[in-house]
Amino acid sequence: MMIHVKLIANYREALPPEAKNGVVELDVPDGTTVYEAISRFDIPLDDTSVIVLNGLTVDMSTPLKEGDMVTAFSAIAGG
Amino acid sequence: MYGWHLRILRVNLTSHKVTTEDVDPKIARDYLGGRGWAIHYLYKEMDPMADPLSPDNILIFATGPLTATPAPTGNRYMVVTKSPLTGALAHSNSGGEFPTWMKRTGFDMFIFEGKSSEPVYVFVNEDQIEVRSAAHVWGKDVHETTDILKAETSADARVACIGQAGENLALMAAIMNDKHRAAARSGVGAVMGSKNLKAVVAMGKKNPKLYDSAKMISLSVDTSKNVGADVKKGSNMRIYGTSYVPQVTNTLGILPTRNFLQGTFEGVNNIDGDALKNQYLIRHTPCYRCPLSCGRLTEVPDGPYKGKGEGPEYETISSLGTGCGVSNLAALVKANYLCNEYGMDTITTGMTIAAAMEMYEKGYISEEIIGMPLKFGDHDAMIEMIRKMAYREGFGNDLAQGSYRLAEKYGHPEIAVTTRKQEFPGYDPRGSQGMGLLYATSNKGASHMEGDVAYEEVFGVPVKENPLTTEGKPELVKHFEDSFALMDSSGLCVFVAIRYAFNKDRMILPQRLAEMMNFSTGAGYTPEEALKAAERVYNLERMFLLKAGSTEDTLPHRMLHEPLPDGPAKGKVVELDKMLPEFYKLRGWDEKGVPTKEKLEELGLPL
Ligand code: SF4
Repeated sequence: MMIHVKLIANYREALPPEAKNGVVELDVPDGTTVYEAISRFDIPLDDTSVIVLNGLTVDMSTPLKEGDMVTAFSAIAGG
Repeated sequence: MYGWHLRILRVNLTSHKVTTEDVDPKIARDYLGGRGWAIHYLYKEMDPMADPLSPDNILIFATGPLTATPAPTGNRYMVVTKSPLTGALAHSNSGGEFPTWMKRTGFDMFIFEGKSSEPVYVFVNEDQIEVRSAAHVWGKDVHETTDILKAETSADARVACIGQAGENLALMAAIMNDKHRAAARSGVGAVMGSKNLKAVVAMGKKNPKLYDSAKMISLSVDTSKNVGADVKKGSNMRIYGTSYVPQVTNTLGILPTRNFLQGTFEGVNNIDGDALKNQYLIRHTPCYRCPLSCGRLTEVPDGPYKGKGEGPEYETISSLGTGCGVSNLAALVKANYLCNEYGMDTITTGMTIAAAMEMYEKGYISEEIIGMPLKFGDHDAMIEMIRKMAYREGFGNDLAQGSYRLAEKYGHPEIAVTTRKQEFPGYDPRGSQGMGLLYATSNKGASHMEGDVAYEEVFGVPVKENPLTTEGKPELVKHFEDSFALMDSSGLCVFVAIRYAFNKDRMILPQRLAEMMNFSTGAGYTPEEALKAAERVYNLERMFLLKAGSTEDTLPHRMLHEPLPDGPAKGKVVELDKMLPEFYKLRGWDEKGVPTKEKLEELGLPL
């Protein structure tokens, strides 16, 4: 199934060159979890990252559905 | 004494009489400094019912015990006064260099009273204090004023001043320092203008004496190293400043778009941190002694929006940009420069124009009244409105009153997205419930700087909270409000303090904040005592607010009754009544939000 991964700001360096505006499309096996999808990228997966599914706070073991968007950014204060 | 000078400079602008006075060390310790000291004096000396633009208002500039010390980001001051925008308390924070230079005059705090009959500026070089004519800079913008006053005083001086917006008493006028830094919110610049005080120019060599200077230096170096290590890893704050945030809030569906009609913006890629970095960034610019350096010097090299200056920060992008539906980055950058030059708060400026755009599109305000069409996304009209606001020219006079008064005047109060008449910053609380409680209860009206729980709900610092739930939010809001009162009183910048001063249990790391205060002042705070003092400050501010007659803790119509139509928070409103009673209980306030006798006694505050 096809899903999207979006990386924001400094994490964009971990994206492949075909990514556009920080978003890359991936073909993943059914049952792939948020964690598995985001582990494909070289970003820290500890509490220095914030990872959301379709903009929502979810458990990292949540299985993905066709068309889902997983977004990650570095947990640093701002605004 | 250490850390604090324990000296105040008082300038009566009516008589031009200058006096100095000492601060009682017990008051100094109990109220921390900065914002804490300022509310102590404001509460003691002024009638909270006074007209904010009358000579009866008092304008306070206050540094903290870490300002002008080796502490990284110890570069802040607070401007505290009664706000003409909200009728409530104003406390606006700024960094740059002026606050450090101000503290080096040998005074922790400047108090301005009364009103000068002619435009003046106040020059303070340690004990040489002069009230001088400002006739030659009246009418000039912030940049020109700063250059002229530095040229006629000293290259070693630093300047805080108002632009045309402050002179003309526009209610979103800011006090700008070092040209680009702003004590922005709540119309503090209009208070300065009402006193005919164009500028304050400060210089001196009196660094505060430190209680334990060796330990202070080693702790400061250690904290700087921590920040430095993060910067090396690629900190967004260094690479982008806060301009990376629109992508984050857009992802969560809480990016204020078209006056909060939406929570996501289709043009976000045109105006985000990467666009800014790739097109207009020259270099990052730090406040004094800041290892993070989140400021941006930018330049639009040519075309109709040609200019050079600082910004935009996130809050400007989310107000003048997405708030107005504007996706032309060059125009947005230009709008930011204009606000800095006229001396205006970009949040209230942008969101007031956004409200006018909505009212125009809905047919509530005609083209004839405005003088031109004013559709969302019309960046040229937006730029023209900024100029009109600063000069209060034509429809600009309506805009200069802020969105609450604008919407009320034209018969549609539901359009204004404000609390206590102050415009919301860049987090739609329908998708960030804790921010909703914060905006509703904030003693200064809607402001993220009152206790920015977006750190947890949005950015995961120090821990990640689900922004859509209400559970635990009252406690979170109280904790952040008290923590911000502590940081604003200390003289540190919250960007660094929040990240390095708290652990995952939200406790102050003693070695990072209480100890820093102690190495500076010798006051011997435990972390608990420091937070208790911050709670004292917060409660006294509440008392001022109540006496000023602004009591109801609520949110505007849109936030309570119009569900977000798009994005991850679609269908949500702020569930304020689920949070407010528990918040009052945690605060030790009654069901109307009034501190109980027991709470006041516990904090040693006057009944
Ligand atoms: S983090 Fe930014 S705002 Fe804070 S002191 Fe540093 S440069 Fe200034």
